[in-house]
Amino acid sequence: MIWRALGYRAAQAGVVAFLVGVLTFLMMQALPGDMAFRIAAGRYGYDMVTADAAAAVRAELGLDRPAWAAFMVWLGDLGRLDLGVSVISGRPVWDEIRHQMGASLHLAGAALLLSALIGPPLGILAGLRAGGWLDRGLLVLSSGLRAVPQFLMGLILIVLVSIQLSWLPAAGHGRAEHIILPALTLALGLAAVSARMARDAMAGVAARPFYAFGRWKGLSEGQMLRRHGLRNIGVAMVTFLSLQFVMLVEGVVVVESIFGWPGIGHALVHAIFGRDVPMVQGTALLLGLGFVALNALTDLLTRLIDPREIRA
Amino acid sequence: MSLSDATLTPPAARGPTPAQWAGGAILLLVLGFAWGAPLLVPADPLRQDLMRGLAGPDAAAPLGYDHLGRSLMARLAAALRLSLSIAGVAVLLAGVLGTGLGVLAAWRGGWVDRALVLLADSVLALPGLLMVLIIGVIISNTPLAFAIGLTLVLWIEFFRLTRATAARLLAAPGVQASRLLGFGPGYVFRRHLWPDLAPMLLTVAAFGAATAIMLIAALGFVSVGIRAPRPELGQMMVELLPYYREAPMALFLPVIAIFLTILALNLLAQGRRP
Amino acid sequence: MRPFLTLTLATLFASPALATEGVLDVVAPFEIKGADPSTSGNIMIKMELAETLVNADPDGRLTSGLATEWQVADDGLSWLFRLRPGVTFHDGTPLTAQAVADALAHARAKPGLLDTAPITAIAPEGEDLRITLSQPFAPLPAFLSEYRALIYAPAAYDAQGNATQVIGTGPYRLTRMQEPLRLEAERFDGYWGQPARIAQVTYQAVGRAETRALLAESGDADYVFNLDPASVARLSGVAGVEVLSVPVPRSLLVKVNAGHPALSDPQARRALSLAIDRQGLAQAILRYPTGADQLFPPSVADWHVEGLEPLAHDPEAARAILADLGWQPGPDGILTRDGERFALTLTTYPDRPELPLSAAVIQQMLAQIGVEVTIDSTNSSEIPVRHADGTLDLALLARNFALVPDPIGTILTDYAPGGDWGAMGWQNDAFTALIRDLAAGQGGQDQRDQAMAMLQADLPVIPVAWYQQTAAVSTGVSGAVIDPFERTIGLSQMDWVQP
Repeated sequence: MIWRALGYRAAQAGVVAFLVGVLTFLMMQALPGDMAFRIAAGRYGYDMVTADAAAAVRAELGLDRPAWAAFMVWLGDLGRLDLGVSVISGRPVWDEIRHQMGASLHLAGAALLLSALIGPPLGILAGLRAGGWLDRGLLVLSSGLRAVPQFLMGLILIVLVSIQLSWLPAAGHGRAEHIILPALTLALGLAAVSARMARDAMAGVAARPFYAFGRWKGLSEGQMLRRHGLRNIGVAMVTFLSLQFVMLVEGVVVVESIFGWPGIGHALVHAIFGRDVPMVQGTALLLGLGFVALNALTDLLTRLIDPREIRA
Repeated sequence: MSLSDATLTPPAARGPTPAQWAGGAILLLVLGFAWGAPLLVPADPLRQDLMRGLAGPDAAAPLGYDHLGRSLMARLAAALRLSLSIAGVAVLLAGVLGTGLGVLAAWRGGWVDRALVLLADSVLALPGLLMVLIIGVIISNTPLAFAIGLTLVLWIEFFRLTRATAARLLAAPGVQASRLLGFGPGYVFRRHLWPDLAPMLLTVAAFGAATAIMLIAALGFVSVGIRAPRPELGQMMVELLPYYREAPMALFLPVIAIFLTILALNLLAQGRRP
Repeated sequence: MRPFLTLTLATLFASPALATEGVLDVVAPFEIKGADPSTSGNIMIKMELAETLVNADPDGRLTSGLATEWQVADDGLSWLFRLRPGVTFHDGTPLTAQAVADALAHARAKPGLLDTAPITAIAPEGEDLRITLSQPFAPLPAFLSEYRALIYAPAAYDAQGNATQVIGTGPYRLTRMQEPLRLEAERFDGYWGQPARIAQVTYQAVGRAETRALLAESGDADYVFNLDPASVARLSGVAGVEVLSVPVPRSLLVKVNAGHPALSDPQARRALSLAIDRQGLAQAILRYPTGADQLFPPSVADWHVEGLEPLAHDPEAARAILADLGWQPGPDGILTRDGERFALTLTTYPDRPELPLSAAVIQQMLAQIGVEVTIDSTNSSEIPVRHADGTLDLALLARNFALVPDPIGTILTDYAPGGDWGAMGWQNDAFTALIRDLAAGQGGQDQRDQAMAMLQADLPVIPVAWYQQTAAVSTGVSGAVIDPFERTIGLSQMDWVQP
C-alpha cells in the first residue's frame, strides 16, 4: 500500500515538473516586450537601460534562439539536476534559491511553531467544553482574524509593536529578533484556522461514547486527553498541518515583501518582473516538488499515527 | 488560503444557519455599497482635485478625499466592484470547470479519474500566487488575467468535492436504477447529484471568492497587481499608508471594506455544524 | 524535526538586548545584484567598500581619489593619471597601475557610460595610468568618478572580467554579503586615508518606501536613504529622526516623440507644456514647494540659466495654440484635426512610485485642453524599446543627469542628437554642435546658456519637476551627509553622538 502511495507521489512530481515547464514556456512565448530590454532593466536599473545595454545582454545570453529551443535546453538540464543560471545576477539558480529557501523555511518554521503554540491548545480547550464561553469567544476571534489579510496583519503589527511600543524592529533581516513580527503575522492567520480545526475535532471526539466511558472509569481530564483524545485527533491535525504549508507559502510572498525578508517569495516576485525565466522555473519547481514531498511525508505520518487509516 | 479549513460535513438540517444569515446580510450591504454608491453620489473615481488632497467629507464625496483629491467613496465603490467582479467571474468559471470535471471523473472512473486526480493534485502543488502572477505575465495585467489565473487556482476544490460526492451518490441504488432505465447524464445530474451538491458548492464558492479577493488585494499591496490609477483595495491601502498619521480614516476605509467582505464570505461558507 | 524546532526556538527567543550596539545600519531601496560594479557599484561606493580614481564634492567639483592628480595633453587626446602611492586592496595586494588599467578595462567592456567615451587605450605608464582617446573628451575624469568605474583588485574578477567578489580599497571591508538584501562590513585597518570611525556597518535593501519610512520611524535604521514624499512630512515630526534633503540633478520629464504628427510642431509641445500645472503637481505628489521651470535646477549652477523665460501654466493659451494649429474640439471634448483624434499614450514605469501618480495627474491636466492620454505603466525598459521602434508618443520619466558629476555626459547621450531617455525624433544641429564642442573642452558658460535656451524653446522633453533626494538619519549619529550625486552618505565620517 505504502509503495503504491509513494509511486503516486512520484507521478505527481513528474506532472508538477511538466506543468512548470509548460507554464514558463508559455510565459517566455508571451512575454510582452523585449526580453533583452527587460533583463537589462533588471540588471542595470532604470537609469541605465538603453538599446546598447540590451544588445549586450542579448549577445551574452543568446536570446536570439527560439523559445522552444530554450525549453528543450531547460528540460535537458533538468535531467542533470542543473537549474541553469539567473539571467539577472549571473549566479547559478540553485545557489540563489538555496539561500532564499533557507530564509523562507526559517520564517515558515517559526510561524508554524508559533501557530502550533497558539492555535491547537486553545482549540482543544474550547472543544472539551463545546458551547462554553471560551468556545464562543474563540469563534468570534478566529472569524475576525481570518478576515484580516496577512499584509494588513503585518501592517497593524508594525505600527502597533514597532512604532507605538518600540518593542521590536519593524523590518529587516540578520538579527534574531527580526523574525518575530513576520512570523507572528503568519502565525496568527494560521492559528485562527488551526484553533477551529482542533476545536471541531476535539468536540467530535469528546462526544464519542468511548470518551464518556473513560470518564466514567474515573480517568482524569488530562489522562483522558492523552490516552484517547490526542491520538484520535492526531490524523486530522497532521493532514491539516501539511495543508497549512500551502497557506504559508502564499502568505510568505506577501509578508516577505513587507518585512524585507530575503526569501523565496521575494525572489519569485522579482524574478517574474525581471523576466528571469530560469529563476522562475527553479523556484516554481522547488516549491511544487517541496509540496509533493510534504504530501508523501504526510502519507507516511498518518499511517504511523493511526495504522487503521487506509486511504482511498 | 485554501479550503483546508472548510468542514464539509453535509448539512444535517436544510436551511441557512445564523452565521450564513449574518454573512449574507453583510455581503448584501457590501454589494449594495459597491453598485449603489455611484447611483447615490455620481463621481469619477479617477477625477482629481489636487487642492482637496486628504480633505474631509463633503456633499460630493461623503467619505472624504484621498491624497490626490479623488473621492474616496467613488474609489472604494469602484475597487469593490472590481474585486467582487473578478472574484465572481473566477468562482463561476472555476465552479463550472471543477464541477464538470468532477462529475466526469466520478462518472467514467478508471484512467480518466486517475488522470484528472493526478492533474488536480499537481496543480494544487503550485502556489496559487505563482499561478496568478505567471498568467498575469502571459496575458498582461488585466482583470481578465486575474480571473483566469484565479480560475486555475480555484477549480481544484470544486473538482475534489464534486468527485468525492458524486462517486458516493452514483453508487446509490436510486442512481443505478436511473442509469439502467436509460436516463442520460443530464437527468442524473439534475435529479440525483445537484440537490446534494448545491449547498456544498455554495460553501466552496464563498471560500473561493474570499481567497480571490484576498489574493487580488495582496498582489495590489505588493504593487504587482492591478495597475494604478484603476482603484483596487490593496493598492489603495499602499497609497494611503504614508498618510496614516494625517488621515487615518482614509486608510481605515479600504481596510474595513476588505475585512467586511471577507468576513461576510467566510460566514456564508459556514455550513450547519453538527 | 525536533532539532529544527529547538533551533528555531533558540533563535526566536534569543535575547535581542543590545544586538545593534556599535553597528550602524544603513537602509536603501537598491538590491544587491552581485559583486560587479556594473550592477551594484552604487551600493559598494556608498558603503565605501571600493573607490574610484576621481571623487566629486557636493558641488560637482572633481577631487582626488585613487588618482592624486591628472593632466591632459595639449591635443586633448591623452590623459595621464598619477596614482596614489601606498594604497592596498582589502586582500593585501598593492594598488598598481596595471590593476587599475585592468579594472577599467573590465568596466568598459560592460554597458554603461564609460563605453560611450572615445577611449582607445588604457595602459600603465610606470607608476601612472595613461588613457588615450580618439577625440578630445573633457568630461573623462568625471566619467571615471562613476560607480561603474570602481577599482577592484585583480583577484576580484573571473576569467570573463565579471567581479565575483568585492575587493576594494575603501575604509570598509566586506565581511558578509547575502544577496540580494544585505551586506555587512567592518573597518579596514589598512586604509590609506583617515580611518572610519564606526567599526561595523550593515546595509539592508528594503524595496518598499513605506517599510523604509517605518524603519526610520521606529529607530531600527540609522541612515535611511530615499523616502517617499508623504513619509518625509511625517518623519519631520518624529523625535529621534532628522530628515536630510538636497536638490539633486534628477528631473521629472515628459519625453515627447517629436516625430509624431501631432507633436512635430514645437508649438504643439509648448501647448502641452502650458497645460501642466507644475506647482500643483509638485505640491500634491512630490510635496515640493515648486515645479521645474527649466531642465536643470538652480543647484546645477553651470547648466541652470538665470533669466531664462520660465515654463508657465496657462491652459487658455494652450487651447489657443492648438486651435491655431487646426485642432477643433470634438463632441466628447477631445480635439480632432482632419478626422484624427489628439489621443496619445503616456508610457511610464512604477519603479518610482511617484511616476504613475504623476502620470495620472498629467493625464487629467491634458484632458483639460482636449488631449486624450492613455497611461501605460509598464516595465522601465519599454521606454527604450518604444524609442527604438518609434511607437512611443509620450513618456514620463525621472532622468538622472548626474550619472557622472558633469551633466555633459548625460546631455551628450540624451540630446546630441537624441537618446533612449532623451530627445526622440528631434534634431537641432546647432545644439548638437554646441554640446559636442563643450564635450571636447571648447566653450564655456555662454555656450551652455545658449544650448539650454534652445532646449527650452524646442522642448524635445517637457520638464515638470526637479527632484530632492531625502534621507532620514537617527539623531544618535553625527557626520551623515546627503550627496546630490548619490555617491556618498558620509559613512566613514559618521560617529555615535555621545549622550
